This record gives sequence, C-alpha cells and structure tokens, in this order.
Amino acid sequence: MLTLDNVRVTFNAGTPSEVTALNDVSLDVNEGDFVTIIGANGAGKSTLFNIIAGTVLADRGKIVLDDNDISNYAEYRRSNYIGRVFQNPGMGTCPGLSIYENLKLASMRGRSLTYRPGYQRKDAVRFRELLAQFDMGLENRMDTDVAMLSGGQRQAITLLMATITQPKLLLLDEHTAALDPNAAVQILDLTEVLAEQFKLTVIMITHSMQQACTMGNRIVMMNRGEVIDDIYGEERHTIIAENLIERFRNIKNVTLSDRTLLS
Amino acid sequence: MAVSDSAGTSVAKAKNRRALSPSLPSGVWFLIRFVVVAAITWFVMSRANVNIGSIGQGLGLALVGVGVYITFRVLNFPDLSVDGSFPIGGAVCAALISTYGITAEFTLLASFIAGALTGLATALIHVTFKIEGLLASIIVATGAYTITLRTMGTSNIPLLNERTILTPYEDGMRNFLVGAFGDEWRRQSNNMVEIVVFLVVVGGVLALLNWFFRTEIGLTLRAAGRNAQMVRALGTDDKRMIVLGLMVSNGLAGLAGALAVQQLGFADVQMGVGMIIRGLAAVMIGEVLLRPKTVGQAIVAASVGMLVFEISRAWVFAALDLNASDVRLVSALVVLSALAAPNIAQRWRDWRRRRNATAEVA
Repeated sequence: MLTLDNVRVTFNAGTPSEVTALNDVSLDVNEGDFVTIIGANGAGKSTLFNIIAGTVLADRGKIVLDDNDISNYAEYRRSNYIGRVFQNPGMGTCPGLSIYENLKLASMRGRSLTYRPGYQRKDAVRFRELLAQFDMGLENRMDTDVAMLSGGQRQAITLLMATITQPKLLLLDEHTAALDPNAAVQILDLTEVLAEQFKLTVIMITHSMQQACTMGNRIVMMNRGEVIDDIYGEERHTIIAENLIERFRNIKNVTLSDRTLLS
Repeated sequence: MAVSDSAGTSVAKAKNRRALSPSLPSGVWFLIRFVVVAAITWFVMSRANVNIGSIGQGLGLALVGVGVYITFRVLNFPDLSVDGSFPIGGAVCAALISTYGITAEFTLLASFIAGALTGLATALIHVTFKIEGLLASIIVATGAYTITLRTMGTSNIPLLNERTILTPYEDGMRNFLVGAFGDEWRRQSNNMVEIVVFLVVVGGVLALLNWFFRTEIGLTLRAAGRNAQMVRALGTDDKRMIVLGLMVSNGLAGLAGALAVQQLGFADVQMGVGMIIRGLAAVMIGEVLLRPKTVGQAIVAASVGMLVFEISRAWVFAALDLNASDVRLVSALVVLSALAAPNIAQRWRDWRRRRNATAEVA
C-alpha cells in the first residue's frame, strides 16, 4: 500500500556537516499493517516520517501510496491521505480554538473548504459519541479551549483528529513519549482501539522495546539511515523484548545507546 | 479505561476558576463592559465639551483597527501594509468620484478591492520569496505611495462639491434635528449624518466578518495563525490562508480609507502615514477595556478601541492645545504604554512579593 523505493535524503549537502539521513531506504507496508519502528537517536526514523508526510522532500527515490506517486506532492496535499501525531501534544491541536472546532477542522481533511457555518449539529453529535468512548469526560467539554487541557487529553484529541477521516496511513511519532506513564498507557490503548475501529494502516516510532513487542504485527529496525532488520509473520509472534535486544546486538555495525536498549 | 487523574484535576481547576469569577457567560461580561465604557466616554465627552465629530472620525477609521486585529492577532502576521492600503483605498474612492463621476456607494467596493490587492502584494512577496512579513509589508507600503499618487494624479483631490455617501441624508438630518431639538443642532447635523451612515456601514461589515470567521474557511484561517503546522497536517495550504487573511485585512483598511476621504472632503497622498500605529493602538485599547473572549467580541472591541482613541485624542488635543501634527507622538505613546503595561505590572508584583518575603524573614 505504501512503497518507498530507494529513498535518499541528505542534509547540508556539499558542506562539512553533510549527513545522509536516509541511505537508499526501501520499504513496503501492506494494507492494515501496524508497523513499529525502533532505532537510536539519529537513525533516521523521524526523517523517514518527514519524507512520507512531505515535510522534507527526498533527494531521489520514489514514494508511492496506493498506486499514487506522491514523491512531489507538497505536505498539505499528502495530508489528505496521511494522518500524523507528533511527540509534542501541543503540535497536533490548535490553542485558542475549542475541542469542537479542532475536531471540525480535522473532519474537513481531504475535501475543499466551504463558506458553510463551522458549527453543524450533526457533527457535534458525532464528535460527542466519538469522545465518549475515551472515558475522559471530554464529550461534555466541547466548548473548552484545548489550551486548558492536559497533555494526555490533548494527545487523545490529536489522535482522534488524525484518524477521524479514516486516512490511508497513520504516522505516530513517539506520540506517548511526552506523557506521564498513566496517560501514555491510556493513549496506547486508544491507539489500538482507533486503529481497529477505522481499519487503519499504522506506522509508529517508539523508543520502547516493550511497546515495539506488544503492539503491531511488524517491527522495523533502523540504524544510520538504513533499515537493518524487519521482523514480521511467524517470527514476530515469538519475539519478546529481551530477544529483540539480543538480536540487534548481533547485527553488525549497530550503534545503540544503552538508554535506548534498556527502556 | 477509567477517568484519568489528569482529567480529574483539570475539572477541579475549571470549578475553581468558576468559583473565582461570578458565573456569567463571557458575552454578558462583554456587554456590561461595553455599556460601562460607553457611559464613561459619554460622560467625559459632555463634561469636556468634546465635539461629536470625533465619533464620526473614529467610526470612519474603525475598520483599520479591525484589519490590524486580523493580521496581528488572528494571523499572527506583523503587517504594516495598512499604511499603504488605507491611502490607496482613499485615492481610488476620490479619483472615481471626482474624475470619473462614479456613484459614491460603488466606490466603497472599489476601495475594498484596491486595499485587498495591496494586501495580496504583501502576501505574495512573503509567500513566494519567504521574505519576513514585517519587511514584505514595508516594501509594499513604500511602493504604495507611488501608486496612490499615480491614482490621484495630484497630491490632493478635494471632494467638497461632490456627492458622497453622506450627501443624500444631510438635508433630511438637518431638518429633523432643527425641528426636534432646536436651532443649535444645525451645526452638528453633518456630524450626525456621519455617525449614522458609518454606524450602518461598520456594523454591516462587522456582522459579515463575524459570519466569515465562523465558516469552515474562517475557522481554518484562525487555526493557521495559531498552529500552521497543524493546518498543513490536516490537508490545507496555510499559505492560502495567509493570502486570504491579508487581503481581507487590507481590504478593510482600503474601505476605511474611502470612508475617511468622504468624511474629510478630500483625499491626500499623506493620509496613510501612521495609520498602522493607530490601528495597533485601537486593538490594544479595545482589548484592555473590553477583554474580548471570542472573535466576534474582538472585532467589536477593536472598533470601540478606535472610537475611544479618536475621542480621547480630540479631548487631549483640545485640552492641551496641541498641534494636529502631534498625533503621531500621542499614538506612539499609547501603543508603547499598552505594550509596556503587562511588563511593568509583572515587575511590580515581583517586587512586592520579594518585599513581603523579606519582611516575613525579618
């Protein structure tokens, strides 16, 4: 469904600080896959998301989504098909606007904007139902400015905003890393519920081996701008965090900080 | 999933906040403030004998305040091109009336479009060449001077004997006022016409804007100023929203230019000088006095801010016997104090807290 074909990204090309962030990466993601991506800082995980989402354009290589070559689409055009949640809960929602208004903005993804009033009763009813399943009491605070909400609540709303139009692909960029442990668990549960409910294809970056092993059906390991391991099928079912660490230790040239391995 | 701790605490916080301020909807508070400000203004005006002409003047310029609010507060875009779009709007209006004999009412639309095109120029410079908004708008304001002069063909066009949007109502208003309140109102009748006509125009524009900011596009525009990354991530080009916002904002300034020209009875190539700082002053005065909570309230507050500014200017100038050219220093000082006030208040609070802490130790 999503195909990356020999994608290369170089930052500061031609200067002494030249970095190859992605070195001819190829990756095939199937419809309905839930892929977790792990790797040390600087492995190229976020750059991978940036070139899929269009924030950064690739130097060469192709990005194909559902038989559409989107390599040259601007970020906002790709956003019609791709939902994204960032690590920082502040990035996915708009302060100064209410919960309803944020969800309304998200529900217009993929169609052209009109001069119809932003407030529609049937939208309010739908948003209320969707929020009610979060069990956070948000459904009764539709007029609250999202700036008043906690990080966990904002991230829950961001998650709903990213999925509400059932995008073809959902990108989760360490979306629980900035939350307290309770809220993180809650958001992860919610992620699985929404992925199931909207039948989404998901790619999730995580620094937690535990999360990588318990969530999704496929693990991709990155290092120094390359995909160095890809675990799915039979193998994926038997993997546990300890094996995973062992496995990556045995792959040549892997530089992992201990912090990443132990978390 | 159970109700999370964090959700619990923020509900408690919200309850606390409600306990601190009486539980009235923000709209009611806004209305109360509005009435209080109006009453105080009226009292000052009648005691100090400020001419009601300043109300018409303030209403004529009110849309500049609204335009500045849209760029500075909604779009978060420091746009100085108002200094150019205001005189361009005025010049187009004056030229169409005096040279081409176009009906005054139609020139308002033309002035709005001319102002909007000025805003478009700033937006395109910013978006295509990635030149910072402040700089892009200075470039446009500089170039706009020539356009204004070329449009007018001369540095000053008098409109004293032309039919403006005010002319049709002057006789009726004079007869009504003299008949109802006596002969001393004869002098004020043209001022009253200005107030009524401008109130209708400005009120209509505000109602239109209030509708606009609640539409899907208006909502996206508001989001683009606060979180452009999110707007892009939701599939809309945030640059389009900057273009649209700057066009609306400068269109309003152009429209205000047309109103001002018809009120003053002439267009002058210099009349845009210092307009941006007046607009900023209006936005800040409106925010301090009325504390708007919604966009609808904010655009009303910006208009009221311009009114209060113009009235107090007329008052201060009469009381202190100042020169008309002193207006720019006064505007600058108003904006400075509005910007500096939060900082000074914070320092005062810090100083007091430290002093109290030292007192406890001793």
